Formats: sequence, structure tokens, C-alpha cells
Amino acid sequence: MTRFNTFFACLFLVVPALTAVAGDSPQEQRKELMEDVGGSAKKIGKMLKGEAEFDAAVANASLAVWADASKTFGDLFPEGSESGYDTEAKGTIWSDRAGFEAELAKFAENANAAVAANPQDLEALNAAAGPVFKVCKSCHESYRIDD
Amino acid sequence: MKKALAWIAILCLVAWALTRPHPLDPDRIPARAPDLANGERIFLAGGCASCHGDDLAGGLEMNTPFGTFRVPNISPHPEAGIGRWNDLDLANAMLRGVSPDGRHYYPAFPYTSYTRMEPGDIVDLRAYLDGFDGVDTRVGGHDIGFPWSLRRGIGLWKMLYLKQRPLIAADALDEHARRGRYLVEAVGHCGECHTPRGPLGGPDRDRWLAGGPSPDGEGRVPNITPHEDGLSGWSAADIAYYLKTGFTPDFDTVGGSMVEVQENFARLPEEDLEAVAAYLKAVRPVESGD
Repeated sequence: MTRFNTFFACLFLVVPALTAVAGDSPQEQRKELMEDVGGSAKKIGKMLKGEAEFDAAVANASLAVWADASKTFGDLFPEGSESGYDTEAKGTIWSDRAGFEAELAKFAENANAAVAANPQDLEALNAAAGPVFKVCKSCHESYRIDD
Repeated sequence: MKKALAWIAILCLVAWALTRPHPLDPDRIPARAPDLANGERIFLAGGCASCHGDDLAGGLEMNTPFGTFRVPNISPHPEAGIGRWNDLDLANAMLRGVSPDGRHYYPAFPYTSYTRMEPGDIVDLRAYLDGFDGVDTRVGGHDIGFPWSLRRGIGLWKMLYLKQRPLIAADALDEHARRGRYLVEAVGHCGECHTPRGPLGGPDRDRWLAGGPSPDGEGRVPNITPHEDGLSGWSAADIAYYLKTGFTPDFDTVGGSMVEVQENFARLPEEDLEAVAAYLKAVRPVESGD
């Protein structure tokens, strides 16, 4: 009987741990998506900063990652996902939902416009990506925990 | 008994003498027409509006372990603000932490950094401040617990911490980095947040710019020395780019109270940002504390 209980105790400990690794929680999904967005920002940013050669294919693929992310990103902040998994999402996302949604809408609009612009040189990339970078900054300022 | 009383009286006199404010020699104020463009540059680098507000009317409450400080109105209003001050008054406030009526200011006002500023920059700054509208907002006094409420005692604190001497010696820096030193150590007062403080609230000079707990009690302020706990992975160009745009080398964004600082710095000439970067690459690497 004791062994049986131990088995179940282990099961209860291990199963949630496994699902945590699988990354199904909104907290993990949005973190992963944000890392993709950040990865694109780095690729584009390095070109704008002069640290990487301009590459139209890489630039446009990165812009597309932003536009794609903007389609689903807003769904990953449901009620109940305010904390846990070391989330850096700030409580203001839930207390000021309208403000957060407005930032998301701007992100989508600017990212889609950047994709549509299809930049073929550095100057065009700067013009296309600039407004998106601006949203990164303003949204983080209000809706991300910074420590 | 008489003898004891005499000793107490003598001790009181000594304490009174030691804690007296030391105003600036009026001759140190240059007699020249102010340079408004430089005044704006100093205003931005000093981040005056970050605490005093965009209209300079003050009112922000700073909650510290010593009590609540209320940021004063520094708009040119003659009664509510500092409209009646002259250059020497502003220089005494910023370089010596002394009010026009000869009292100590609390060091929540970062004069421990500003004390390293050039009086000429104060003249330019005052002319720039004069261009604002006077705002009739009366800000209440501070709520400070005993014994910190004894303002005169700040004189002792100043003996420990009010030093004009720069943190990094000039021979360790080229001319460019020396301009950066001026912006970081004096005007930008970066060390007020980025350097940990001792039990009396003074900066720990041995841990200069090594980061520490946030002064407002939430989170931590990063280490900005060239240590691996700090900015060792950042090039000088990365630092200047961050100050210009708000993006780290990983293209993460600036956060917290640094947002306003960065946005002010973005309005400075690029040579100033590069100077700050050169200085930060030249300071001693220090590991982060707990």
C-alpha cells in the first residue's frame, strides 16, 4: 500500500513537471513567441546598427516573423496567467486591458506595413522597422516588469 | 557638575561648528552671458525633469528608508518656485547642497554628484530654467523620521560624502572619456542609482557603478562597470547606441526609470553619448554584490 501511494505521489510530482517542459502554459508560449520577435529584432537591428551586412531576404523574413507573431500574441495573456513561470508580464496588462490592446494593434499595424513595404535597402528597412521598434519600447515600458 | 555642563556646552558648540553649511565663494560664478544651448544640454543630461516634472512644478514623493521626500517646485514662479534665485543661489543648491537661507538640503537632491559640476554650467542652466513658465504649485515639506529630521546633522553626512574629487583619476582617461566622466559622475549623477549605498545612505565609492538595490525599493539597478556582471559584453558603440535608441545589444528595450534617462540622453549630441561610453569602458570592473 505504501509503495502504491509512493507511486501516485511520484506521478503527481512528475506529470506537472513534464507538462511544464512541454511548454503549454500561456506564460511559456508567449515567452517563446517573444524570443522569436526578439531574435528578428536583433537581426534587423544589427543591420541598422552597421554590425551586419544588409540582406533583403533576411530582413524581410524577420519582418514577417513580427507580423506573424502579432496575429496570436494578444491571445496569450488570458485571465489566470498573471504570474508563474517567472513571467515578466506586468499586472497592468490585466488592469489596463484597453491600453495593452491598443499597443498590440499598433504592433500588428506597423509590422504588417513593414512587410508590405518590402524594403530592398538599408534606408527602406530603417523606415519600415522604426515604427515597430517604437512599439516594442513603449509597450515594454508600460506592460513589462523590468528589474 | 559645573564642569560637566561646561563640557556639554563645548561639545555642542563644536558640533554646531562642524555641521555648518559651506556656501560657495561668490567669485566662482563667472560673469558672462549665459549659453542657452548649453543650458539645455545640462538640463537634459541632469535629468531635472525626471524628478521635478516636465513643468518643473515638483510634487513627486520619494519613499526612502529615511522617510518621504517631496520634490520641490523649481519653476520660475517667484513664491512657489525659484523665480527669485540668482546664479549664486542655484550654484549653492547644486554644488554645496545649501539653500538661499543657508540651510542644508537633504541629499535626496543629488548634490553629492552635482558638486563636481562647473559653476559656468550652472549659470547656463539657470538661464534655461528661466525660460519655463512659473507654476503656482506649493509642495509640502518632507516627512522624515528622527534623528534624520535634524537638518543640521546633514553637515556631518556631508563631511563623509560631499567630495568634489572625481571617482576616476584624470590620468586614466583621455580627453573624450574625461568629458564622459563629467557627464556620468557630475551632471548625469548616474552613480546615485548605479552605485550601492552604505548604511548612512552614502555611495560606496569602492563599488562605483556596480549596481545594487533600486532606490525606490523595487528590483535592482544594473551593474554598468566593464565586469562580466555588468557591461563587459558591450562595446563602446553598443553603449552609445543604447543611449541613443533604448535598445541593448540583444535588441531588448530599456526599462524602468532608465527610460526617461535614455530619452533625455537621446537628445544630447552624439559626441556626449560616445564620451559616456568611453568613460564607462574605462572604469574599474567590479562584480555585483548581493
